[in-house]
Amino acid sequence: MNHTDPTDSETSDADRSSTDTLGMTRSDTTAKVKASIKKRYARERRFRLYGLIAILSSLSFLAILVFTITKNGLPAFKQTFIQLDVTLDAKTLGLGDEPDQAQLLKANYNGTIKKALLAQFPDVKKRKDKKALYKLISKGGQYDLQRQVMESPDLIGQSKTVWLPAGDDASGYLKGMVDVTIPEKKRRFKDNQIEWIESLKQDNRVAERFNWTFFERGDSREPEMAGIKGALFGSILTLMVTLILSFPIAVASAIYLEEFAPRNKWTDIIEVNINNLAAVPSIVFGLLGLAVFINFFQLPRSAPVVGGLVLSLMTLPTIIISSRAALKSVPPSIRDAALGLGASNLQVVFHHVLPLALPGILTGTIIGMAQALGETAPLLMIGMVAFIVDVPATITDPATVLPVQIFQWADLPEKGFVEKTSAAIMVLLAFLVAMNTFAVILRRKFERKW
Amino acid sequence: MKQFNPEGHTNHQFDVELNDVKHKVMTMGGLVESMVSDGLEALLTMNTELGTKVCEDDKTVNKLELEIDRECTRILARRQPAASDLRMVLAIIKTISDLERIGDEAEKLGRISLQMAEETDMPHYYKDLRHLGDHVKTMLREALDAFTRMDVEAAFSTAAKDEAIDTEYANLSRLLISHMMEHPALLSHALNMSWCARSLERIADHACNICEYVIYLVEGRDIRHADLDEMRKQILPAKHG
Amino acid sequence: MTSNNSDASTNTDTSSASSVTSSLGPLDLEKGQGTKEQSIEEIVASLGDTVGKTRVDNPKMSATGVDVFYADKQAIFGVDLDIANNEVISMIGPSGCGKSTLLRCLNRMNDTIPICKVTGELTLDGEDIYGRDTDPVLLRARVGMVFQKPNPFPKSIYENVAYGPRLHGLSRNKSELDDIVITSLRKAGIFEEVKDRLDAPGTGLSGGQQQRLCIARTIACSPEVILMDEPCSALDPIATAKIEELINELSENYAIAIVTHSMQQAARVSQRTAYFHLGKLVEVGHTADIFTNPRHELTEKYITGRFG
Repeated sequence: MNHTDPTDSETSDADRSSTDTLGMTRSDTTAKVKASIKKRYARERRFRLYGLIAILSSLSFLAILVFTITKNGLPAFKQTFIQLDVTLDAKTLGLGDEPDQAQLLKANYNGTIKKALLAQFPDVKKRKDKKALYKLISKGGQYDLQRQVMESPDLIGQSKTVWLPAGDDASGYLKGMVDVTIPEKKRRFKDNQIEWIESLKQDNRVAERFNWTFFERGDSREPEMAGIKGALFGSILTLMVTLILSFPIAVASAIYLEEFAPRNKWTDIIEVNINNLAAVPSIVFGLLGLAVFINFFQLPRSAPVVGGLVLSLMTLPTIIISSRAALKSVPPSIRDAALGLGASNLQVVFHHVLPLALPGILTGTIIGMAQALGETAPLLMIGMVAFIVDVPATITDPATVLPVQIFQWADLPEKGFVEKTSAAIMVLLAFLVAMNTFAVILRRKFERKW
Repeated sequence: MKQFNPEGHTNHQFDVELNDVKHKVMTMGGLVESMVSDGLEALLTMNTELGTKVCEDDKTVNKLELEIDRECTRILARRQPAASDLRMVLAIIKTISDLERIGDEAEKLGRISLQMAEETDMPHYYKDLRHLGDHVKTMLREALDAFTRMDVEAAFSTAAKDEAIDTEYANLSRLLISHMMEHPALLSHALNMSWCARSLERIADHACNICEYVIYLVEGRDIRHADLDEMRKQILPAKHG
Repeated sequence: MTSNNSDASTNTDTSSASSVTSSLGPLDLEKGQGTKEQSIEEIVASLGDTVGKTRVDNPKMSATGVDVFYADKQAIFGVDLDIANNEVISMIGPSGCGKSTLLRCLNRMNDTIPICKVTGELTLDGEDIYGRDTDPVLLRARVGMVFQKPNPFPKSIYENVAYGPRLHGLSRNKSELDDIVITSLRKAGIFEEVKDRLDAPGTGLSGGQQQRLCIARTIACSPEVILMDEPCSALDPIATAKIEELINELSENYAIAIVTHSMQQAARVSQRTAYFHLGKLVEVGHTADIFTNPRHELTEKYITGRFG
């Protein structure tokens, strides 16, 4: 009844008093509400505060994580080089007059470098000191020299000023990671080595450059020569296999289950199983992959193809579930509209429902892919944990992936690998961020198409 | 049998409004009925007091008409009544205009009674006039009763009385004409009486109209300008037979 | 059910008022609505036969003894009804009375609900639409539908209208399609408002424009019948008035059935009105008669607002 209507006749006054059924007068109510209102607002404020604290604490955890990783990892993106005057005489290199490529490949570049070092520091006589001196230059230095010589063999017989990568300890010292206050006996980098480095520094023979090696090389036992490229390519190949396999299969299953399958016992069972699969520990998929793909189908070990297969198994349920949710969220009015115009079920799905669900499906896929990218356990089971120096070119080449590489490096004792581990983590995170950005861009693009 | 019932709307306020306006119509009807009765009495008994009262009452009736009209307009605008509610409002709008006309006719009787208050002798045709007036009064009362009770049968039988009254009026007119020819000196008096008789006959016509509205209201059939007996045969046996 | 309306269906008198009063059987209404213990079937049985003329001279679609079940629950009880050519018929009744269900049966939209079962005969131009060789796709092209909520596709205005003709291959080339789109938009009375932005998204229009776009989209398939399921329930009065005006214009070329909760709307747009109650067609007749003088007590109660 319309109480506020001024034109209502007098009978509504009677109604007004009779509808006050709670047995309270208006002023009573007002007083009670007023009394509780302060409490209510206080509760609301408290709840907001809790939420803010929760967000701030998780943000601070994230900040600490990112800070430590960046702090540890940043030095790895810089490489120290030492300048040496090398004399590339054929004798020291152990080459004949007309060396061919094979000979050049096997020449004694190491000796040349050692000679150059001795020439730089003529005072060093003792065998032990000499050994310490040689350690200033990385064992990888000879490969740099080798490359230069092989590119232009006419360098032989000449003297040349070259920048060679510093050894692990030397670069650690130069990056300020050696604590000189520790007694000499307790540290790897000795006083005489410090002396040499300092003198090289005074001669401007020491430089820091961006560490391209890290992105250009595969794994190595020498931290200063170890790179991420092998693992990065391994990850990309594995993910490609995963995406190509899981996306169409998952989307097709989701569409069938959501749009076409009859609702009965069997579809219920399938649905429950898909939900359960999403919760299965990933190492179980690794065991499955080992048993089925490697032992039964005889696929190569350590290969991205097997990794991709295993990871597909793992991501399928994730994508199916999120795709079904996305399909379900398409308003039924759109289906009605298309059906009402005489579209068949298939046309309704492919013309209207799928395009509208695509952003959601893509989000689910990217989440699944990100999961797959960070997965280690199942890949350990199929041998992707091997030490592999070469960068994989095809999906059947032996390869490793970023998280496994991180896992391996974290295990190694050399100090240089500490920063490499963090740097690899940074690369992995960057990869993830890039994937998510891509997802966001894709979603925007499809959503803008209304 | 269909029975109009203003109660029972989900929106109770609508019930209240419809009942309210219906009661006002009944009040107006009662007032008009007493005006007719008073006007006739004033005329036949030379009662100036009653005559003045009738003239005063007409103003109240006019005011009531305006008021009910306004309320009906409001109901139409706000409630958009349909079916029986719509017919109810339409019937009321028409009824009050007829009632107002009856009021005017009664006022005319009153005014004529005031004009003729000085005259003392009572011509013989007063008896016939009173007879006609009594019939009209009865008819009006029955019409209003039919409206109040929404009684189709009563409405039919009341409407049927109009014919008898017309005949009676024609007889009275003839009587008056012969009286005028016999007594040309009393011409103006007889002429006034003729007006009064005319008014009474009009009142009967309006009462007949009200009966027709009652039938429209309850049955949803418009019987105006149709053969009364025919319609009665169509409507009533279907209900009771 | 077949014998129920024998007297009404054979009655060709257009001014049905005088003749059907006699067909009113004894209505046991008090029993019908009163007690709560009665099952729906009993109540429905007590409603008696449909009052008024269910048949017309030029039926486009007609239902005969239609029952609809959702699993075990019966939603519609033996409905006989004709939808005439070039006429608007409105279906009114309280919520859950089956009017929308019947409407959705008319172009087999209920096919999408697996538990829905339709028995009885529904014909379009005399052909059984639930017959074995009737294709629902073709049927839906001939019997278009406009829904309660304006539901344009999230595509451009042009694409929205062009979708149906493309689907059914109604045009041979682009210019033919353009013609269809423009004609449909014109017929739906929205062309002038959108002619400069045919590429703009249909979802960016106002509610009333969206609904007219949906009508244009339906017209584009050149249907013979247009079904409207509460087409104005989400619209403001001005948009509603425009749609009603449009319905009025469209009725010259199409048979239109409209389900509405607004009795005033039914009174405004339709020539005939059908009143449903609990899945039963209680009364059908000329709109003017239904709204001034309904013959069934339930109809009277519903349209005067006495349910509750």
